[in-house]
Parts: sequence; structure tokens; C-alpha cells
Amino acid sequence: MLKRGLPAAVAACVALSGCVQTRQFADLQFTPPSGDYKLLVLRPDVTVGSITTGGMVQPRADWTDQARASIIAALKAQQAARGGNVTIVERRNQLPGVGEQELADVERLNFAVDQSIVEHKYLGNTLPTKRRIGLDWTLGEDAVRLGQKTGYDYALFMHAEDEVASGGRIALGVLGLAGCFIGFCAPNVGGQQQLDYASLVDLHTGEVVWFNVVTAGSQIPGIKFGDLRTPEGAAQMVERLLGRMKPGKAIREQQKLQAQERR
Amino acid sequence: MTRLTRRLVCIAAAAALSACSSLGGGDYGFSDYSLVRVRPVSVGDHSMIVTPPRPWNRHRPIFFEDIRQVEDWTQNGPLLDGISFVTGLKNGKSLIRQRRSANQQVPLFRSNMTPPEIAAMIESLYRVRGGAVDFRTLSLKPRPFLGTNGFQLDYEHLDDDELWRRGRVVGTVINGQLYMILLDAAKSHYFDATLRDFEAIVASARLKA
Amino acid sequence: MCGRCLELTRRSLLGGGAIAAAALHTGVAEARVRPQDMVPLIGPGFRPTDTDEKGLWKEMDRVEEEVAGSNLLITDPKITNYLKTLIATVGGPAAQDFRIYLAHIPDFNAMMFPTGFAVVFSGLLLRMRNEAQLAGVIAHEAGHFLRRHMIRSWRDEKRKTDIFSIASMAAGIGGAAAGAYLGDYVQLAELGTILSLFKYSREMEAEADAMGIKNMAAAGYDPMEMSNIWQQLIGEEEASARYRGKHRHKGGIFDTHPSEGSRMVDLRADAIELTVPGKKYENYRERYLATIGPIRPLLLDDQVKLNDPGASQYVIETLAQDGWNGLLRFYEGEVWRLRNRPGDEVRAEQSYAAAVAYPDAPADAWRWHGISLLKQGRTGEAKGAFARYLQMKPDAPDAAWVRQMAAS
Repeated sequence: MLKRGLPAAVAACVALSGCVQTRQFADLQFTPPSGDYKLLVLRPDVTVGSITTGGMVQPRADWTDQARASIIAALKAQQAARGGNVTIVERRNQLPGVGEQELADVERLNFAVDQSIVEHKYLGNTLPTKRRIGLDWTLGEDAVRLGQKTGYDYALFMHAEDEVASGGRIALGVLGLAGCFIGFCAPNVGGQQQLDYASLVDLHTGEVVWFNVVTAGSQIPGIKFGDLRTPEGAAQMVERLLGRMKPGKAIREQQKLQAQERR
Repeated sequence: MTRLTRRLVCIAAAAALSACSSLGGGDYGFSDYSLVRVRPVSVGDHSMIVTPPRPWNRHRPIFFEDIRQVEDWTQNGPLLDGISFVTGLKNGKSLIRQRRSANQQVPLFRSNMTPPEIAAMIESLYRVRGGAVDFRTLSLKPRPFLGTNGFQLDYEHLDDDELWRRGRVVGTVINGQLYMILLDAAKSHYFDATLRDFEAIVASARLKA
Repeated sequence: MCGRCLELTRRSLLGGGAIAAAALHTGVAEARVRPQDMVPLIGPGFRPTDTDEKGLWKEMDRVEEEVAGSNLLITDPKITNYLKTLIATVGGPAAQDFRIYLAHIPDFNAMMFPTGFAVVFSGLLLRMRNEAQLAGVIAHEAGHFLRRHMIRSWRDEKRKTDIFSIASMAAGIGGAAAGAYLGDYVQLAELGTILSLFKYSREMEAEADAMGIKNMAAAGYDPMEMSNIWQQLIGEEEASARYRGKHRHKGGIFDTHPSEGSRMVDLRADAIELTVPGKKYENYRERYLATIGPIRPLLLDDQVKLNDPGASQYVIETLAQDGWNGLLRFYEGEVWRLRNRPGDEVRAEQSYAAAVAYPDAPADAWRWHGISLLKQGRTGEAKGAFARYLQMKPDAPDAAWVRQMAAS
């Protein structure tokens, strides 16, 4: 729900020369999943397009298929390295035991929750009751029910916010991650401010336990952050988004203490 | 512009000044919200006093957009939940600022409104301004409030982000002025999670002598 | 108050108050496009072969999945099958390929997506007076698909945007001017914004009109009805603007389509051209009324509750041309009640009183009638009205309050 004038303002202000940054928030008690866990990745959608000289992005079905395949492979590999079991659900009717409407409802609530996290954690519009307590948002009972029905431990939602492309709307799915990461959506003047995020929900409690935002503003085409169509590029993106999952604050302090004791 | 929008523009502008600036203010930065502590606090135009059972977040009034008689609190952010206070809304006034020239208007409050009319006014607010595409009244019944014969309205609505939200209002008209406390939250989890707070706040509400 | 009320609402996003329909975009070109010159550019079972179009289709598949799964849809099978039959009748060679969805949104709008799925808003159903008019709108939308307007306008935009211009981005609707990346599926209520990417030129609108009216007439519908739609819409917009003391074009729903008047004129000429003397043309009004009858109270409710008195009044009066009844008198009363200007309380009272005289008066008419009587001090009669309300709707949501009123 962003106003039309925003893309201009944003584009005019983004004068970066290629910068990728991430910022993670986690539950204080968060430990990145490891060992034998089951992860559900919901409807990641990757679209890759080429930039015409006019600055238009033209979706390319063949590149999209390549990138989608690479990302999914990278996700699986990355999670396998952690010891987990990943299932990627691309369409709403692909989750056995769960109706499309039920899944849609969880996604819609998650969308509102994620928007709230971005607003109140990342964009500085802090809620005083949530200061210094890490990540304190939940999807509630519906997510727990989803976990019970499907047997998954975690659910990963991936989102992209593309002000320019969607005319000021926040879009769902991992679209455009590809586009802007690899500089494809970077025309000569200014760039698209891309705000992509991933949220990890613990399906035993329904809580959002980890959240990561990646922004990539690239001005000059040719600055590549790794071509998503290639396995290497996809792995790099996945690693950036998910790989460096840090434990939550309380756990980190515990680990620090343990490290100190050993000395 | 929405708050989200304003925030984004500020960040982007800041980003322009350095090659790679850090993301957002994190836990510390300019916020639209201030803390409401667990003690009696006056709300709206300060004619009503309530006591929350736990800390809440109060939205700072925005001069041109908010009206003095209305105050908004939230626990998890306005997309997920919110408690609003209406204090001493006078005859002929609106719950929300609107342009006279707007095609679709939220009806003005009238002192002789019966509870069904007040309920209809709230429904219009959600349909005309809140983006609700469907609004259902679940129940309307008498309920004492602020020492008078008030009403309780329960409703739910489907909004343009395809999320169902539920609401409860407790209100009354005193000396021709409207007093209400309203809870609106996502139907999944968030309404139930904040209902107890709402009821406690309603029970604690009193008018300044 | 109402946490999201300060955010942009769907309506304001849909271009200044009501509709930013790509479907109802700027009017016709200077020279009228003749229906007989319109031929479909695709055949049955069409699939894209060009790379850019294939990419577009893939995007649109996701949009369609979202639309089909939206909880903003009206899924009453009687009505959805009716719409499916209509689009199959006027859809030309693509008749069997179309999908059509009905959205529970009170705006007058209908749109066609590049892959052949159409979305019709419930506000449209409220305003169409007969099946021919509804078929005409659907035929117009189908015309956009048959003449490949979406991909053509997409390609036009690409050609035009030589220089990525921030100014054009700001000026454009959404990303349209810069022809930005299509993005992903959208929430149903904000489709108007995404569709702005397919900005139809005036020529394209004229083509869709001509293609549509041709297919409509070929199916046996009275082609003049397509022109009548515009007449009704202009009337409504004038009523709405007049109420606000505004000129129709300022801030009205047709802000971006100043030449609907000329479209009406051109369509009238088309209709005359297409009419075969001696052939019988139909508008199937009875069938239409019978099919949408059951949801008409819902449609009226949505419209009236938008509190746009000029437009609502006009709509009700237009429907009343087929005869007043309890339902229409009740909603007439609702329009006054919500408008609530000096004197409106009395007008509403009169309408409610008139409504309850009809056998089909909805239960709510009795409740509001009772409240009106109460305010006039006619307590005894009010209690009678409340009793009648409770008898009709013993489980009404506000039964508890009404019971108290009736008892006191």
C-alpha cells in the first residue's frame, strides 16, 4: 500500500554503487536449526528478467526456470548440509493434508506479521513494548495446527518488496530477488530499492523465530552479485539470506560464557 | 503517505549519503509510538481515564490526520491489533478526518444516534476508509459503560489484504457526546490474545470528575 | 481509530475514488473503428510462442492462482456458471479458453488478463440492467484478449521508454510509465493498479468496443444495449458529482476517461450498422434478473454502505424503473440515513414507512422503521415494528438490543 510517488523518491535517493547488506533479528532463545529437522518452504517464486535499454524488466521464462531450479537446488543443498529435510511447496494445493484455503489464510496472516516486523524492527518505527526482547511476533494457533497436520518443524516464508514493479504494492514471494541481485533491474540512473526478507516460523509454537532482510541496491549494470541462473549464484543468494543464521541473543551470550569458561 | 512509506523514503535518503548504510534504526530510532505504563492514564481528549493490565504502545497523534478525541494503542502493530479510544466526540463530528469533497463519506456522529446507528457509522468507517470489502455485525447488545446504559457491538470484517479481522466496541452517549473503546485485531490469534486486556481496560474506564 | 484507516485504502488506490480500470480507460480514437473491420488475432487454444509473451504468461499464471484462491470471490455456482456461459457465448474463437471470476467488490469494473482470465466486480452486476448489457461488457473484455491488446501495449511501452526517467515513473500509475517489472500476483482488491501496466490506448479501447459489439450482436443480443451502459454510467457519475457540487470530471470515477460520451455515440453508430433489419434481438432481462436476484440485496448493501449518496440514489432509481418494491424503498431510506444531512432523517423515515408496506420488505426495514418511530415519539408503534423485526429475525445480531427497546 505504498503511494505512487515513492518509487521516484526512493530511486532518486538510492545512489549506491552496489551494496548488499543484511540484518537479522531473532528470538532471544533462537538456535539455528540443525540436526534432523523438517523444513517447509512455502511457495518461493523466482522470476528473472532482462532489463531493456529503457529500463523495463522483461520477464524471461527460460531464465526464470533456470533460476528457480538453481534456487531450489541451493536451498535443498544448504539445508541438507545442516542436516535438515526440506520440502518446497510451489502451489497451494501441493501440501497434503492441508487445504488451499487453510494455507492461504496462514500466508495472509504471515504477510501482515512480516510487514509489521519490517515496519517496527527494520524501519525504526519501534514499539516500546518490544524493545530489547529480540523478535516477539507469532503466527499463533493456525501455524501450530499446520505443523501438526504436516509434521514439519519449521516453515520458511520468503518475500520481496518491490515498490517500483508492483506500483507501490508489497508483493508476495521471492520474486525480483533474482532481478535486483544480479543487477538486472538496475538501469543507468538510480536503482530499485529492493527489500527482500525471509522469516522462519517454529511450527511447534507458531512463533516467528528468525527474520532476515536483505537489501540490494545496485546502480551500475554489470555489477553482479552472482547470477541466480547458475548454481553458484543461487547458492550465494541462499547463503546470504539463510546461511549465516545467527543464534538468538540469549544463546549467543551463553555460548560466549561457555567459551570464556573453557579458557 | 503511509507511515511505512515515509519511513522508507527517510531510509533511502540516508542511504544515499553513504556507500552502504546500515539498515534502519533497529531498536532505537524515531518512533511513532510511546510507552503506556501499567497505571491510570488519561486518553483521547483526556476526559477518560483507563488502566491497562500490561504495557501497551500508544500512537503519537499526527497533527493533520488524527482528531483530538481519538487515541490509538497497539500491542503488535496496527496491522495485527489495536485498541482505540473515542472520548467526548461531539454532535456533527466525524471519527476520522475527511475531505468534504470526497465521494464517499464516513457519517458524522449525531447526539440522538441509537446504538444501531452508531454501529452503522463504525461499519461505514471500515468500508469507506478501512478498505473492508465485507463487514458483518455479530451482535449488538446493551452493556453498562461509564455508569450509563451503553452498548456492546461485536463485528468482523474482511479487508483488502484478504485478512479477516474481528472487533468489539463498548460505548455510550453522555450529554450528547460519544465515548467508545474499540478493539480491532486479526481474527487469527490476535483478537483472542488482546481481548482480556480490552475487557480489563473497559472495566477500569472512568470519566474525569 | 481503525489502525489501517490512515493507510491508503483500496479505493484511493483505484485511482481517485473508484475505478482505475484498464478496462474502462480513455475513450475512442478520432475515427470510429468499424465492427466489421475487427477480426480476432488468435484462434482457439492459443499459446504464446514469443519469448517475452511467454514470460508474461508465466507471471499471469501466478496472478490467476492468487485470484482463484482469493476469499474475496463470490462463488455461488448459479451465478458463476451464468458468467461462464456468457463469456463462452461472446468470446469468439477463444470461447472455451476463457476463465471468469466474480469478485465481491462494490466497484463497477471488469478486467481481462493476458492469459485469458477475466475478473468481474460485483458492482458491475448491480448496475447492469439486463443480460445484453452484461454480455456487452464481457464481450468488450474478451475483445481485448482477442485483439492481443495486453502484449501489444506491453511492447508499446517498451518501445517508448528509451530513457529510464524518474519523472515518468513518478507521473505514471504505479510502474506503468517506466514499464517496470510486472511483479507478482496481487491481492484481488488492488487489481486496478497492476492492470495499469497494460495501459490501453484509445485505439485499443475502440477496438475492444468494436470487437465486443460485433460478437455481442452475432450472439443475438441487442447491440444498442452496449451504448446504453455508458449512458447509465454517465448519469450516475453526474449524480454523484452533482451531489458533491462538483463538475463530473473533477475527482469523478471517470477522471481518466473524458470521452465516454463519444464512446456512447460511436457505439450507437456501431449498433445501427450491425442491426440486421427484421432480425430479432434480445436483452434477456427476465433471465438476468432471475439469476442475480438472490444476491441483489447484498449488492445494494455494499453500494449503499459506501455512502456515496448521489451514485447510490441514481443506481436505486434506475433499478426502480422496473418497479419499486420493499427492497428498493428500504435502500432508498438507507441512502438518506447515511447521508444524514438536514432533512434526511425525515426522508429516511418516509422511505422506511413506504418499504414496510411492501410484502418483500427486508427485516432490517422494520428495525429502522421502529427506530424512526421511536425518534418521532410514536413509542407504541415503534414497539410494534420491533416486534415484527424480531419475529422475522429472532436470531438477529442485535436482537438483544431490540428486545430491550421493545420491552422498555
